[in-house]
Amino acid sequence: MNPAATSDLLRELMQFDLPVLASALLALVACATMGNWLVLRKESMTGDAIAHAVLPGIVAGFLISGRHSMPAMFLGAAIAGALAIVLANLVQRRTRLEAGAGLGIVFSAFFALGVALLETQGARQVDLDPGCVLFGSLETLFLAPPPGGRWYEGIAHETWVLAAAALMVVGLSVLFAKELAALCFDREHARTTGIAPRTLEPAMLFVTSLAIVASFEAVGSLLVIALLACPSLIAAPHANSLRARFAISLAVGGLLTVGGYMLAAHAPAVLGTDASLNAAGMISTVLAAAVPLSFAIARWTRRPVSRPAA
Amino acid sequence: MSAGGAPFIGANTGLTLAAGALFGATAGIVGTFALARRRSLLADVAAHASLPGVCLAFLAGEALGFGGRNPLLLLAGATLTALLATWSVPRLARLRGVGPDGAIAVSLSFFFGLGAVLLSDIQTHDSGAQGGIDHLLFGNAAATTRADLATMASIAFACTILVTLFFKELAALCFDEQHAAVLGIAVRPFDLLLLGLLVATVVAGMQMAGIVLVVAMIIAPAAAARAVRGSLTRVTAVAGTIGAVAAATGVLVSRSMDSMPTGSAMTLVAATIFIASLLAAPWRRQGSSA
Repeated sequence: MNPAATSDLLRELMQFDLPVLASALLALVACATMGNWLVLRKESMTGDAIAHAVLPGIVAGFLISGRHSMPAMFLGAAIAGALAIVLANLVQRRTRLEAGAGLGIVFSAFFALGVALLETQGARQVDLDPGCVLFGSLETLFLAPPPGGRWYEGIAHETWVLAAAALMVVGLSVLFAKELAALCFDREHARTTGIAPRTLEPAMLFVTSLAIVASFEAVGSLLVIALLACPSLIAAPHANSLRARFAISLAVGGLLTVGGYMLAAHAPAVLGTDASLNAAGMISTVLAAAVPLSFAIARWTRRPVSRPAA
Repeated sequence: MSAGGAPFIGANTGLTLAAGALFGATAGIVGTFALARRRSLLADVAAHASLPGVCLAFLAGEALGFGGRNPLLLLAGATLTALLATWSVPRLARLRGVGPDGAIAVSLSFFFGLGAVLLSDIQTHDSGAQGGIDHLLFGNAAATTRADLATMASIAFACTILVTLFFKELAALCFDEQHAAVLGIAVRPFDLLLLGLLVATVVAGMQMAGIVLVVAMIIAPAAAARAVRGSLTRVTAVAGTIGAVAAATGVLVSRSMDSMPTGSAMTLVAATIFIASLLAAPWRRQGSSA
């Protein structure tokens, strides 16, 4: 390969692949870290519900502020998310329906409202469309520096928001690791040792919502749901400590995210077509397929070793 | 508003209203049993999983040369992947640490993700040929054709007949499994029947309510009908009626508002009826117990 072609390839890698991958990996860190806590508490559905329920808040934030305003979007999303959770609890208590059905009605209705607002009001003002609400807009997060500007001035605002969310989620998870672990494994014990579940549980949901909203615009609701549940479940059969669970879920989740993105971006060219495939969808498919595979590998590698009696 | 000067209730609106009402009634009737059997989120997975099937059927139709938009082929593809997904959920749930919640998230991520990938490929094809596959996400009743109405009517008819024929068995299965065992009703075949009815309903609802929101039309009318006191036959009939009314109203609302997706309109109407039932129910319960 001649030097000119190599430098073209490098430039393309730097301008397109790396920034998009960085955003996807930051979303992974933010969502999978919170997802580990949710999965350990058997609350993956709550993440699913929040990922749908925040939409009308985000759109309303856009419409009211009249522009792409992050604070308005976050405020709207926080209000919508909190309202949805309160309503779902209310529905469940009043009707004694299964938890899933209560959540199902509430988050469908919120999502329907968000899509309706988006389609009827937002077409001119909001640079979101229902397709990217579901499947994200990862492909658009390449570096676009202003003419004559430095490269870092071209980083998309979604990427900055994701970086902040990832930092916050990891920071809080490390700081409050003991308390969160107590909430996951023994709520009663947590209460008697002075950790207040009544304060910590809503706080946890709030931070989960922040991670979800930060990721929502870049990766879409589908990949948010996959990132919350799949990495933690991939790690489940291999980890025998909390630390190992987080480490494996982030490391393997990261590898699969890179693999999924590469498949979507470059497999069509290798196969000789010029189609470009949806990256969020491909990453989510790869992550989900890895869950049963991971369990199969665990069963297969453990078979020869005789397990000590429990 | 659609075509300028066109009468509000035209021939096409009548067609769409009929198809909408038939879908809503089916969703309400099947939903009554699905809700009692705690299958509502499985219905959500089945709905999302129909997207890759539709896309595969579209691509297959194109490759075989009879065009992508063959309704029966699309329905068959959707049914196939929806069934695959409902098959995968209990198997995933059995894995240690996954549980029902995790299984639903994993299955949905896999199938809907695959659908997103295939859809993005189809969208790079000639725009004339893709024929609004992406409208199946949030529903577009305006695109209903005479053939769609015929398909909808057949599915609604088949589901209603099956529910009527096996009403006693389904009721025992969903409301009192132990009683079912005493009566000598085998659980498994009727569980499969209910699953089949659910998949048929969500697949039939793609055009109307859309893949993403169709689950609301299965849960909400059935949940609202629980406010009614009386026999299961009556509750089921009420759920069917609420479903039909919500769906037809949704069709009209989406027609009267510029670019409002049918699925969003139906879901919001059904959710409103459900909230109204919540507000009415405790008051009614007090009155009747006195």
